[in-house]
Amino acid sequence: MSGKGRIVGGLGSSHAPSIAVALNTGKDQTAQWKPLFDGYQPMIRWLEEKKPDVIVLIANDHANTFFFDKYPCFALGVAPVHEIADEGWGRWPFEPVPGHPEFAWQLAHSLVDDEFDIAVCQEMPLDHGFLTPLACTFPPERRWQVPVVPIVVNVLQPPIPSARRCFKLGQAIRRAVEAYPKDLRVAMFGTGGLSHQLSGERYGFNNNEWDHQFLQLVETDPERIARMTHQELMEMGGADGVEIIMWMVMRGALSNVVACKHRNYYHPMVTGFAQMILEEPNDGLGRLAQAAE
Amino acid sequence: MSKSDPEFPPPGTPGAPEILDLRSRQIDYSRPLPGTYLTTGVRAARGYRFSKFCMSLMDLNKREALKADPEEFMAEAGLSDYERQLVRDRDWNGMLRYGTSTFMVLKLSNALGVGQNRTGAAMRGQTYEEFMATRNVKEAS
Ligand SMILES: [Fe+2]
Repeated sequence: MSGKGRIVGGLGSSHAPSIAVALNTGKDQTAQWKPLFDGYQPMIRWLEEKKPDVIVLIANDHANTFFFDKYPCFALGVAPVHEIADEGWGRWPFEPVPGHPEFAWQLAHSLVDDEFDIAVCQEMPLDHGFLTPLACTFPPERRWQVPVVPIVVNVLQPPIPSARRCFKLGQAIRRAVEAYPKDLRVAMFGTGGLSHQLSGERYGFNNNEWDHQFLQLVETDPERIARMTHQELMEMGGADGVEIIMWMVMRGALSNVVACKHRNYYHPMVTGFAQMILEEPNDGLGRLAQAAE
Repeated sequence: MSKSDPEFPPPGTPGAPEILDLRSRQIDYSRPLPGTYLTTGVRAARGYRFSKFCMSLMDLNKREALKADPEEFMAEAGLSDYERQLVRDRDWNGMLRYGTSTFMVLKLSNALGVGQNRTGAAMRGQTYEEFMATRNVKEAS
């Protein structure tokens, strides 16, 4: 590893269309929504302090970016600018999000060399899965100061990748970052979950206890989650609770031991909603410094 | 559900097309989740045309055409009688069982003027008010 890229930490956040609506209609400070939006304040400050050069943002599509005619398990956006998806009621009122083609293409090559045959996309409009966590961590005056490399994970139509596979994808992303030949501060950002189900008689299912357990495990013992099947994840967190596999991509890119700098949980409507900051030791130089000793 | 679909009888029944009984190691088929319909292989294939129909409603013109004349619109989209009946009945769970993703159902219900949590409450067999009373944020969505 002679590269200069480094990962400075990982963020986690749930996503939901209602969040963007609450934010854009100024409801974020009402009593009902405040416990959720307050959870973003430490993340906003963390991003200002850590000054990442790029964010690798992992989310799932909700059949706004792709359709089932072709549905990739993993997809990577390499465009200079990512358009905003129309989810069937008009585009979200956000400016297109800048990308980082140079790093994204390097990541594409590195991942495929590493046996992660990800679909490489020059056009990949982003839906609320990406936009709600981004809009909440970048208040209007800071949009969009940090370029984003988006990765889509299929959680809609089985076969979907396992928690283990997602964790390994994160590890492969770390190898790509550490081999990057230029100085580059990378923040990982996994979105989705926690417990929720949007279908069938079990619509509205939540499991707050499991959500808290998950937050603890993703920080201290992600291996335990990597061992879980979709069946187990869905039993615990609802059919759409499998979205937490996107947090596993983020976590896989981090060191074994990380510092949890922030953790928040609130359950507004149908989604157990969490935010988290996991910081790398030594500003992302922890492992490299150790290796040099 | 009493409706039957001559074109797509349930797998395993007489006249049903022969489809490989696919199994995923990620799913324990001996422990089906209550009130949950996963779009695994066979189901996704069966529901594909219906999914395409729902997806077409991403286009504003299509949403307006559906609103203006649902029967005409469904005929043009080539839906089977069974599929049309699912729409007429607003049988959201029937659509899931048939083989489409809930994200397709939500695009259709949105186009029919039914919000997400109203659709969800109906899936649960509750009124919207009953369902929202169980939530911390109670405003419409
Ligand atoms: Fe989602």
